Amino acid sequence: MQAERDISYADVNRDVVRSLVETGSKYYITLAISVSVMLACFFAPWFYQLQYGIGAAGMNHPTVWGTYLASFIFWIGLSHSGTLLSCVLHITNSSWRKAMYRSAEAMTLFSLMVAVTMVMVHLGRPWFIHWAVPYPNQMELWPNFRSPLMFDVMAITTYLTGSTIFIYMGTIPDFAAVRDRTTGWRHHMYVLLSLGWRGTDTEWHRLGWAYTFLAVLIIPLAVSVHSIVSWDFALSIVPALHQTIFAPYFVVGAIYSGTAGIVTVMFVLRKYMNFEHYITKLHFDNLGKLLLVLSLIWTYINVLEIFTGWYSGTSTEYEAIRYKLFGYYAPLYWEMILFCAVAPLLMISKRFRTSFVPMLILSIAINIGMYTERFLIVATSLSRQYLPDAWGIYVPSLVEISIMVGSLAMFVTLFLIFVKIFPSISIYEIKETLPEPEPKTQSESGAPEWQPTL
Amino acid sequence: MATNTVGLFDAPATALAAAGELKGAGFDATSIISPIPLHGAEKVLGEKKSAIKRFTFFGGLFGMLFGFSLAAGTAVLYLHPTGGRPIITLPPFLIITYEMTILCGILATVIGFLVSARFPAMRERVYVPEAAVDKFVVSVLCSDDEHDRRAEEILRSAGAEEIRRLREED
Amino acid sequence: MSFINDFLASWREYRRPGYYEKFDYAWTMSIDLDRCTGCEACVTACQAENNLPIVGEDEFAKGREMQWIRIERYWEGEYPNVKLGFIPMLCQHCDAAPCETVCPVSATYHNQDGLNAQIYNRCIGTRSCAVYCPYEVRYFNYNNHHWDAPLDEQLNPDVSVREKGVMEKCTFCIQRIRQAKDQAKDDGRRRVRDGEVQPACVQTCPAEALVFGDRNDAESQVSQSMNHPRAYHVLEELNTDPSVVYLKKVGSNAG
Repeated sequence: MQAERDISYADVNRDVVRSLVETGSKYYITLAISVSVMLACFFAPWFYQLQYGIGAAGMNHPTVWGTYLASFIFWIGLSHSGTLLSCVLHITNSSWRKAMYRSAEAMTLFSLMVAVTMVMVHLGRPWFIHWAVPYPNQMELWPNFRSPLMFDVMAITTYLTGSTIFIYMGTIPDFAAVRDRTTGWRHHMYVLLSLGWRGTDTEWHRLGWAYTFLAVLIIPLAVSVHSIVSWDFALSIVPALHQTIFAPYFVVGAIYSGTAGIVTVMFVLRKYMNFEHYITKLHFDNLGKLLLVLSLIWTYINVLEIFTGWYSGTSTEYEAIRYKLFGYYAPLYWEMILFCAVAPLLMISKRFRTSFVPMLILSIAINIGMYTERFLIVATSLSRQYLPDAWGIYVPSLVEISIMVGSLAMFVTLFLIFVKIFPSISIYEIKETLPEPEPKTQSESGAPEWQPTL
Repeated sequence: MATNTVGLFDAPATALAAAGELKGAGFDATSIISPIPLHGAEKVLGEKKSAIKRFTFFGGLFGMLFGFSLAAGTAVLYLHPTGGRPIITLPPFLIITYEMTILCGILATVIGFLVSARFPAMRERVYVPEAAVDKFVVSVLCSDDEHDRRAEEILRSAGAEEIRRLREED
Repeated sequence: MSFINDFLASWREYRRPGYYEKFDYAWTMSIDLDRCTGCEACVTACQAENNLPIVGEDEFAKGREMQWIRIERYWEGEYPNVKLGFIPMLCQHCDAAPCETVCPVSATYHNQDGLNAQIYNRCIGTRSCAVYCPYEVRYFNYNNHHWDAPLDEQLNPDVSVREKGVMEKCTFCIQRIRQAKDQAKDDGRRRVRDGEVQPACVQTCPAEALVFGDRNDAESQVSQSMNHPRAYHVLEELNTDPSVVYLKKVGSNAG
């Protein structure tokens, strides 16, 4: 891949350091807004809910799970593209990954953090959440490892650890590059973060191997994480949840919404961090193709779900499918089909894939659709179970909607902090995609502004 | 007192050539500092072997044993019969085993990386800040002035645009 | 070599499905739908015995009522040829309970009496057990409940009052079972006699539709109803192996 215009190695360093150090008022205003939305819409209602009980949300007797769990799955799903995609592209040596993988991995990390917070919001007694962690304790009680929720605890802990390490390890050389160009507290921070990276052949060799091993370990991990999330549902015997297709369905859905999320983040980075030369039409084109394929797989599984429900011939499965398609929540269902199955077909056209604003709108629409999908999985299935006497309808309360919005603000806040600490595009890997410097030429712009310290 | 003679190059090709010549002249402690990983470096400086894969393998193996004994052991320590299942329930415990294998594999890889690349650096090492931007640096450890001079000659004739002498504390 | 034999012996023990070779008591309830009049006396008795809160109008409208036993009503046919059927629904104390495996903190498990026990103190409120229960008989405390004076004076001291964020359900009046077992032990007898322990709903049923007892004892009343030709389990096809047996309604008014 070649950038649109000739970029020198020094330009890359300068642009990335500038994105970290030069902070405009626009950034501070955005940060202030997102922090206040997070405090007002997430933490305030949550504290109210902690005081009052889960009753602050709209859940009721048949539908004991609600938007909190839907949000949890949504955020876990959003986390699925970043690190997973980055690993797959790393192993397959796709160079177009290099401009976008850092922020995609950051997306993984932050959506996982938000997902974990959503679990805390979801719990009836979150102050005892540590009981689900296996640690030796005075009660000599251990968690129940037979529970799919315990698989979740283990898988998400592993995934969070793995993606944190993966993004950090890939950034060490960049921390070192930024360390040399910054002063003050930033310099001290980067000195610590870079671990004393120099860039010797031995260090590159070790980093290359460690990075590849991590990528190889993380791919099966990421697939297992969303399979396990799907087993929270599929291991129950609730009609329409108890399905073997659920694990691949969730994995595909997760990668789908995650890739759409990457498109959104790429657009924002490109526009507001001035990375026009690094994030190009090529990236949107490739991501668009990927999204198109994922949307087709996703649609296929959805059709299959209806087919198997109908084919099973059991009254409960049949009712669950009927209720999903034509019941109380039917408008949401058809909205989901429109956003996630029909609209993405536009990406067949290359002109659509390479135009930035339509791709942004589509990517947001896909994620709205995918949130709806998760909500419907919880709401339609739980409100139509075996005993018709216990059927009911669940409508989210204001507290739930507010927390939903607040969790988005939390994600934005974390991301805004990230772009000022982590080089949000990879310096050394962008350089690898540039043409190698020719011997015996004077570098024009890269004159050193620093004094050697040794 | 041992010093390092370093030569700064504009292009990876010339830096690699210089490193090759130094190696040929008997300078064993030659290394290249570069802003990007150089794929030709191993050809010039000799094959490298890292212990990371062993760390990953044994970490994963440990995780596998640990994961299963965590699940099965804790189930036996405090009996909670549930859902008509046995106390040691294999399919769920294998999932825990799987996750712990990966977790320990990842952690061991990190430890392997830190150990084999000697991180974090607790003292100052030979470093050229330009190497993080666009310079390819060949660094060679010389035991005395005589070696210094020879190394400098080789570097200059290979096209180094600047030569520095750096001291590394041992 | 003895340690290998020990290991194999314990491996076999821990690999036995359901773990228990035999329950000490296998508490079972049988519900004769032919006798049940749907009077809901059992619902009220349970409410009084087990400190169930009255949630109030607003919460009831949201569908958050607490009824460890409820009478489900089903209509069949169109007016005027309509038939009403009802069935008391309570925790089935399944021997292969889906709710037990899903709890991440083991707040619900199977005890030696074949009861599906719920430990309120341990519950962290994931509510997954209520999702996994096909009978929808697990109730969640969406908030703290209070009893206006003097109603708080009539709370049963043998039963804890549950706090917000905790799941609860029918216990087969485990406090009464415990008392009966203690009494049996004090008397120097080994077993609890049939009919000696009755949950509040059984005790109060005016039509004697509900019978409670130990199915390990072949002579007990429940063992006999279990072998009745009308006996069936609700949602038997799910293989949850319930401890509540229903006797089907027959005759001209069968619904």
